[in-house]
Amino acid sequence: MLRKKTMKLVITFHTTADAMAMEELCKKRGIGGRLIPVPRSISAGCGLAFCAEESALSELETAMSEIGLDREGVHHCLI
Amino acid sequence: MNLSDSKLKLLIAGIGCGLAAACLAYFGNPANMAFCIACFVRDMAGALGLHSAAPVQYARPEIIGLVLGSFVISAVTGEFRSNGGSSPMIRFILGMVIMIGSLIFLGCPLRMVIRMSAGDINAWIALIGFACGVATGCFALKKGFSLGRAYETGTGSGIVLPALMAGVLILLTCTTLLKFSEAGPGSKHAPILISLAGGLVVGVLAQKSRMCFAGGIRDAILMRNFDLLTIIAGLFGVMLIFNIATGRFVLGMNTPGIIAHSDTLWNILGMYAVGFAAVLAGGCPLRQLILAGQGSSDSAVTVLGLFTGAALCHNFGLASSGTAVNAETGEVVAGAVTANGKIACVICIAVCFIIAFTNKRNSKRGAAV
Repeated sequence: MLRKKTMKLVITFHTTADAMAMEELCKKRGIGGRLIPVPRSISAGCGLAFCAEESALSELETAMSEIGLDREGVHHCLI
Repeated sequence: MNLSDSKLKLLIAGIGCGLAAACLAYFGNPANMAFCIACFVRDMAGALGLHSAAPVQYARPEIIGLVLGSFVISAVTGEFRSNGGSSPMIRFILGMVIMIGSLIFLGCPLRMVIRMSAGDINAWIALIGFACGVATGCFALKKGFSLGRAYETGTGSGIVLPALMAGVLILLTCTTLLKFSEAGPGSKHAPILISLAGGLVVGVLAQKSRMCFAGGIRDAILMRNFDLLTIIAGLFGVMLIFNIATGRFVLGMNTPGIIAHSDTLWNILGMYAVGFAAVLAGGCPLRQLILAGQGSSDSAVTVLGLFTGAALCHNFGLASSGTAVNAETGEVVAGAVTANGKIACVICIAVCFIIAFTNKRNSKRGAAV
């Protein structure tokens, strides 16, 4: 059965390593979310992005700024 | 048109690429080479005089079409982004490694899949090496490997490689300056217009679908995401049907005439180097051409590395030979990996490890801030 798509927060990064650092950061802090390929609607590139619930935005922004993790963009997509 | 919002569309994109490859094989490209990026870049390097191996010299319009197809579709859809500056010289080295590994195995990841669809057991064995190489690259990514971010550049920088490819097309069609093989794989080719059309079609489909052989396995390992592998499955399915229907499917390991060898260890190690380097460089040879077409100067530099690697392979005897039948005696002569090729392959793998574990995010030199 196909999973129903819902609106999610998608954070993109300048490098794959940054996206993976984000995943590790969230694991350490117990913040929900996972790595996904950057959605095609956002970019023609083939990097990784971090996908989380929309409600987690402020928590994620705080965590990123605390460790100086630079994001490329924040998007809202049906995933 | 978004080709990647469903697996069905990705499968159709893969089928489209498979049909293009099958047409090219039908119209004259070498047996089960059909659309090999490494082989065709090597042929193009020969046509430009970068090496002097007479049987492999022909400016393949497929390569030109791939870059121009990606360039045109990305320009039309507003996705052309001129960017660069992400450790270009390391990418150049990785391009060389990808080509050397490919010519030791005798094929890029695309040809590996095409050979698999023709029943070549060597290619199935090489897949193990390729997957292990990608897995090692994924391990490096998890350990923080990064070549640093790319920055926006002037539009002219991103247009250089498509312009150079257009220039080669003009040389091919309007002059006699380029070298042409009179015998061997380079002499076997589909008509120029069909080759160019095939390249353009695959270029457009690959740009829209983000088709990548290394990326497919990388995404499966890192994220349990099988989208990119769906495209490969479509291509494999079409080529399998084509090979069976045209009597080209021969299950075996030492099949003469298909430009392959049965040196198992080096088939594995060659493709291990390719898979490892492709993950570090951010894509397989096909993907590098597509990214270069849509404006990435970093990928364009990787493509230059592919050309240089091809020249090194044939100037220094690194490329393997394929199993063939001696025309006079009728005996099957097994293909082999050269001693120089074996040494080069080991060096390439060592270089990949050095690059993978010395280029870290947050390193002191600040390559990947």
